[in-house]
Amino acid sequence: MSGIRSLLRQPFFSQPRALTGGGILLTLLLLGLLAPVITRYDPTSLEFGAFMPLSGAHPLGTTAIGQDIFAQLLYGARLTLLVGAVAGLIATTLSVALGLSAAYFGGWIDEAINALINVFLVLPGLPLVIIASAFLRGGGVWPVIIVISFTGWAWGARVLRSQAMALRERDFVQAAVASGEGAGRVVFMEILPNMLGLIAANFFGAALYAVLSEAGLSFIGVGDVSLVTWGTMLYWAQAKGALLQGAWWWVAAPGLGIALLGTAFAFLNFSIDQLGNPRLARGRATLPARVQRPPSTPIDPQDSAAQPLLAVRDLDVGYASAGGVVRAVRQVSLDVAPGEFLGLAGESGCGKSTLAFAVTRLLAPPGAVLGGSVQLMGQDLLALSGEALRQVRWRDFSVVFQASMNVLNPVLKVREQVYDAMQAHGVTDPKRLDARARELFGLVGVREQYLDAYPHQLSGGMKQRVVIATALALEPRLIVMDEPTTALDVVVQRQILQEIAQIRTRLGIAVVFITHDLSLLVEMSDRVAIMYAGQVVEQAPAHQLYAHPKHPYTQQLMNAFPPMTGPR
Amino acid sequence: MELTKGCYFGRGVRTNALKSFKLSVNDPLIPLASEVNVPYLLRKVAILLFTLWVAATLNFILPRLVPGDPVSVMLAKYQGRLDPSAVDALKIAYGLNDLGTPVSEYFGYLGRLLRGDFGRSISLFPTPVLDVIGTALPYTLGLVGVTTVVSFVLGSALGLYSGWKRGGALADALTPVALFLSSMPYFWFALLTLYIFAFKLRWFPLGGALDPFPGDAFSAGWWSSLLRHFTLPFLTILVTSLGGWLITMRNNVVSVASEDYLAFARAKGLTERRIVSRYVLRNALLPSFTSFGMALGFVISGQILTEIVFSYPGLGFYLFQSVVGLDYPLMQGIFFFIALTVLVANFAVDLLNLLLDPRVREGRA
Repeated sequence: MSGIRSLLRQPFFSQPRALTGGGILLTLLLLGLLAPVITRYDPTSLEFGAFMPLSGAHPLGTTAIGQDIFAQLLYGARLTLLVGAVAGLIATTLSVALGLSAAYFGGWIDEAINALINVFLVLPGLPLVIIASAFLRGGGVWPVIIVISFTGWAWGARVLRSQAMALRERDFVQAAVASGEGAGRVVFMEILPNMLGLIAANFFGAALYAVLSEAGLSFIGVGDVSLVTWGTMLYWAQAKGALLQGAWWWVAAPGLGIALLGTAFAFLNFSIDQLGNPRLARGRATLPARVQRPPSTPIDPQDSAAQPLLAVRDLDVGYASAGGVVRAVRQVSLDVAPGEFLGLAGESGCGKSTLAFAVTRLLAPPGAVLGGSVQLMGQDLLALSGEALRQVRWRDFSVVFQASMNVLNPVLKVREQVYDAMQAHGVTDPKRLDARARELFGLVGVREQYLDAYPHQLSGGMKQRVVIATALALEPRLIVMDEPTTALDVVVQRQILQEIAQIRTRLGIAVVFITHDLSLLVEMSDRVAIMYAGQVVEQAPAHQLYAHPKHPYTQQLMNAFPPMTGPR
Repeated sequence: MELTKGCYFGRGVRTNALKSFKLSVNDPLIPLASEVNVPYLLRKVAILLFTLWVAATLNFILPRLVPGDPVSVMLAKYQGRLDPSAVDALKIAYGLNDLGTPVSEYFGYLGRLLRGDFGRSISLFPTPVLDVIGTALPYTLGLVGVTTVVSFVLGSALGLYSGWKRGGALADALTPVALFLSSMPYFWFALLTLYIFAFKLRWFPLGGALDPFPGDAFSAGWWSSLLRHFTLPFLTILVTSLGGWLITMRNNVVSVASEDYLAFARAKGLTERRIVSRYVLRNALLPSFTSFGMALGFVISGQILTEIVFSYPGLGFYLFQSVVGLDYPLMQGIFFFIALTVLVANFAVDLLNLLLDPRVREGRA
């Protein structure tokens, strides 16, 4: 979760929901504070007739005992807001104290607090509040606030505890602990500031719970019904049969007040939550549609020897951001011949993965192709959509991802995930599926019985092999591999690369292999392309590129090789 | 400088040396038999029992925190109307008859609880508390069971739509609507529903669970009477609890949508239908199940208030009656049973989780 600085930096109040929530809350607060200015009636005086209809003098009529409902509504906002704010504050303080202690101290303290949290989470809240309040009846608003606070803290404590635990493991906290800072300093200077957003979201959640609980309690007559809150207004409206008298506004007005206040709290809670989890943020930045596509170079069908398997022409890819479009790939043109092993190298952030995603049509918003063309076997990939695109995928080209650790669905067996790629492309015979799956596993060196494993039962290297096996399932013409071995240790990396090389030559599959590891590429590739700042700066056969790097950037990359002999 | 192919690899590790030992990536072989995760189950049973114990203990302690004592309050209220045996029962129930130390009282209380002895209701004296609960429980379970399942399924379905199609007008409009619906006081919405559909339009009865003379139990007329009384409470709980599921599910779907396994599924050319059902739904539902416990508490709270508004003779209605009538034994008995219901439902959800999530089954999550 972002700290206070990023909370201010983020366009929080540009979110319509945060704005609406804050606006409603402020309005209700002002109505409560300015009640004496807005109405001249006392909310408790009984000076008017009973059940007077709506009129200019009494915008919401009067109660069964002659009180002005509009005055009650205004003054009722005060106590209702007070209950929400104070109970929310106490509950949040409890959540923070217990959540942080659990996370900071760990051990048996954590166990005990966690058990307490679990108990309060599953104990049904309102019945507990009712029971507790029944024994604490009378005595004004404070017993109600206390009871609500002590039953409403558990959810927040649970969220804050897990967040604090994650922070506790972070380097900067570890460093502070290691440098001998006291517990108080670590908690208040290092951990707490990074949780302010979450704590604020939590406060609005607790306040929402408090307002709804107070309303419920007052409604059934527990608590102090002599006070004027929106909840007690509903109690009296119900007790005096307001609806039976047709005075529906007596019920509607305070209830709508609670609903609006609740919505304001919920909106604020939700908006702050979104700051910490940008994925939840609504809407997507818009990108200009792909304009002015240059006419793609027509490929002569007669000249099949020269026909590339994959032809990328003048590809432009960008990401929409608040400050406009950031272009990540500029005017890239690449060819891959059938059966060729093309290495694509460059430093992190140079646009290699973006290029791979754009070519394989996996680019998700805010990314978008801005111009250029991609042709696979003469077919315009960028023009395909829907069912046509789905059918081409995996059958003509497959993809091995950079983060293969997480590309397998954790709740499905490996077998199903190998099968469904084939099933999606017309292989439905169970015997054929089984035979092919076994064959593929044999090809990449994974035991067949792991077909019935779940992904979490496999090691990282095995997952990668499973993904490669899946990529081979339909024997596509092209496999795009985006740093397929980066996350693996060098031993496993080596084995997998050797297997890829073997399988590729045996099956005649073209490979686009992306990595920042140039030495690896020079060893494995037929041809190497060097990317820098979104552009392909040099393309050459691997041995030639190694012997005579032309572009200065390539030369720098080459010099980054560790020399085999001599001082390093 | 000359680069010898095969000598240097990646981060400068000599690979020639590695060729001498053949490392099998398959080892060690993890047992794949999916057996029941006994520690998980034991832990869940322990939490169930522990929480029940806390509920029982709260029931024991709360009356003793009251300044004065509840029995004299009740005696004052029922001046002359309580028969002596009821007064004795009350005194025993509240430990005001000097039976021993608080500790022995406490164990006596726990013992009676284990035997199912919740004492006798005061307002319905001499009916045992357990009998009152026995009459009310079927109505509450029926209402809570049906509404929870319908609300969960419908809310999650809408949340799935809202999360998967986000950016679309309808999908994005669902979120603020859901937030508003779940911020409404349940009983207020129930009151308005009652006013409009029962009082003004007279489409549905004003309250109760059955007509005074519904005919034989489980006959056609009986069912129709039951359904007509059931509809309004059902709809109000459904509307007020739907939003919570919607928001939860939407958030889960949005998180799942950015997972690598989803991009991989798309890359494989799977049909949208399969991606949604096997990849998005299966994974997004799991956290919903985990938060089921807390949500169930909210549903129960809404249920209590809704029952009061509709005079629906379930546990919530009797809880209200017991609060109004200062019937402490009944109040405590009902609280214990509501807690028990919620806890058992939670436990059932945990079992379901065990079936749905292979990681929980293996004890990894």
